Amino acid sequence: MNAKLKETILNPIFKGNPITVLVLGICSSLAVTVTLKGALVMTLSVIVVCGISSLILSLLRNTIPGRVRIIVQLVVVAMMVILVDQVLKSFEATYAIDKQLSVYIGLIITNCIVMGRIEAFALGNKPWPSFLDGVANGAGYGLILIIVAFFRELLGSGTLFGIDILNRFGYVPNNLVILPPFALILLGCIVWVQRSIQKDLQEK
Amino acid sequence: MESLSLFVRSIFVDNMIFAYFLGMCSFLAVSKNVKTAAGLGLAVIFVLLVTLPINYLLNTYVLAPDALIEGVDLSFLSFIVFIAVIAAIVQIVEMLVEKFSPELYSSLGIFLPLIAVNCAILGGSLFMQQKDFVNIGQATVYSLGSGLGWFLAIVSLAAIREKLSYSNVPPALKGLGITFITVGLMGIAFMTFMGIAL
Amino acid sequence: MNTNSNVYTIIYTTVIVVVVAALLAFVSQSLKDRQDANEKAETISQMLTAAQYGTKAELDQLSNSQKLDKYAEEIEKAIIIDLEGNVVKELEGIDVYNPKLLKRQNYNIKGGANATGEPELPVFIFRNGRTVVPIYGAGLWGPIWGYISFEPDKATMAGAYFDHESETAGLGAKIKDDPAFQAKFVGITAKFADANVVDLAKGGEIDAISGATMTSKGLDAAIDTWLGAYAKYFLNAEEE
Repeated sequence: MNAKLKETILNPIFKGNPITVLVLGICSSLAVTVTLKGALVMTLSVIVVCGISSLILSLLRNTIPGRVRIIVQLVVVAMMVILVDQVLKSFEATYAIDKQLSVYIGLIITNCIVMGRIEAFALGNKPWPSFLDGVANGAGYGLILIIVAFFRELLGSGTLFGIDILNRFGYVPNNLVILPPFALILLGCIVWVQRSIQKDLQEK
Repeated sequence: MESLSLFVRSIFVDNMIFAYFLGMCSFLAVSKNVKTAAGLGLAVIFVLLVTLPINYLLNTYVLAPDALIEGVDLSFLSFIVFIAVIAAIVQIVEMLVEKFSPELYSSLGIFLPLIAVNCAILGGSLFMQQKDFVNIGQATVYSLGSGLGWFLAIVSLAAIREKLSYSNVPPALKGLGITFITVGLMGIAFMTFMGIAL
Repeated sequence: MNTNSNVYTIIYTTVIVVVVAALLAFVSQSLKDRQDANEKAETISQMLTAAQYGTKAELDQLSNSQKLDKYAEEIEKAIIIDLEGNVVKELEGIDVYNPKLLKRQNYNIKGGANATGEPELPVFIFRNGRTVVPIYGAGLWGPIWGYISFEPDKATMAGAYFDHESETAGLGAKIKDDPAFQAKFVGITAKFADANVVDLAKGGEIDAISGATMTSKGLDAAIDTWLGAYAKYFLNAEEE
């Protein structure tokens, strides 16, 4: 694999992380990180949607009229997500999974990461790198989500994946942690840690 | 007066940023200085003010069950219709800003087209669907209030950030880090408005 | 080809709109029956849970057809009543009220511009003596709904199950995911004569969910509205 592709994949995980560096995907990272399960479901969804949308729009990139660029992007993403939702809703085996996902559908379509990467990368690059870029950004996003959700679920409910960890020791779940503002504070701390390690990201 | 209380409620109690945490990405990224923040805030107000009433009309006369033809429920198209309307308006705003204020255009960067996916704007239309407004006047009041709430939030954050740049923030926390924490604290403060019956 | 010319733009946009609309409409229509079947089975599962035929997790192990069979076995009477508590008609076969129908009736109960007529309120009486009625209302992010069952005395609640479209996972979603929350309804007496039929609030008879104030309030309002509509039916039944 050539160096450029490697860079495309590794960059979004740490150095160019969509949440902590590009400041994209914040809304959902507040809403879905109350539980680890939610964080995982959302991560997988974003990886799939971001990857495939980037792929499709990269394939279409030379045909899109300048004036309707944004509409076309959004319509493609929305259509994809809705199609997946409709299909999952129809099969007995996947109906329960879809009920869980439905909550996030809106958050996935409007996830700035999807649109942001289409604008910044897919529209100017070939399909395969665009797909990889989408997937990698989804993964970088997921990494942060999981870290935040880990602390929020553990400290806010005393559980991990619904399994009681702390409550049995008499731990009283901290209600402040469960509220969205705390997720923001956690994100601030994560950025703090990241920039202490990577001094070139620090702002003057 | 119902409209007045709806207006005040949508600015403070139903504040898009601090009550629902919508529109965060651009809120955090574009609040470095008050001027750019105000520019984006105005753009958001404008887009909300135009798209919400249009979406209200579409919802009432096309998408709602039995609205267009008896027995036909087009509400599964809501998302895509709302987004298409918003995207179209944002495209127009982008062209206007590029023409009339190139410096605002370059300082907003990618966050101008990102208004199209600004959860606050789509959220506004989705909430409108839920709130069952009686007429387009109420929908407009709501959109104006929501936009103003977002505008106030981003301008206040920008003002705080400008002042913060003079403080002794640890280098690794400077900028984005301390902004996250600040917004978190502002969010906790805003919880005082939650549950106020206006 | 000049991708920026007006003609091209218009043609392109038209093509995209037509393709997307056609694709979505086609998929939605062809999958509709399957989706409806799934939704029906889910609704039945929720009602059976409220009527305490098992936990939701247990009932979800059944296949769709098994759920339908169980319903057919256990349902004694399924009727529609009006606001006065009079029976308007009996429901045939397996006819259950999914959230869309509940939404319509919600408008009818509330009256106003969106109402399409008089409310038609479904009542499901099961062989174990319990009566199940639906509720519907607005949560924080979207609609919430559910089913409450009453003991044969038509005043004490025997169980409840709630569902939502888009409440926050881990917070508002607890109305659905937390059996402990639903268990709080068991044994509570509904005060049909009051406007505040059920006291669901912070520190109330049924304690609201921490961190989910708006969802809890929405649920309380939904329950009060719907049980209020059923009030005459239940009060009349109590007297018999």
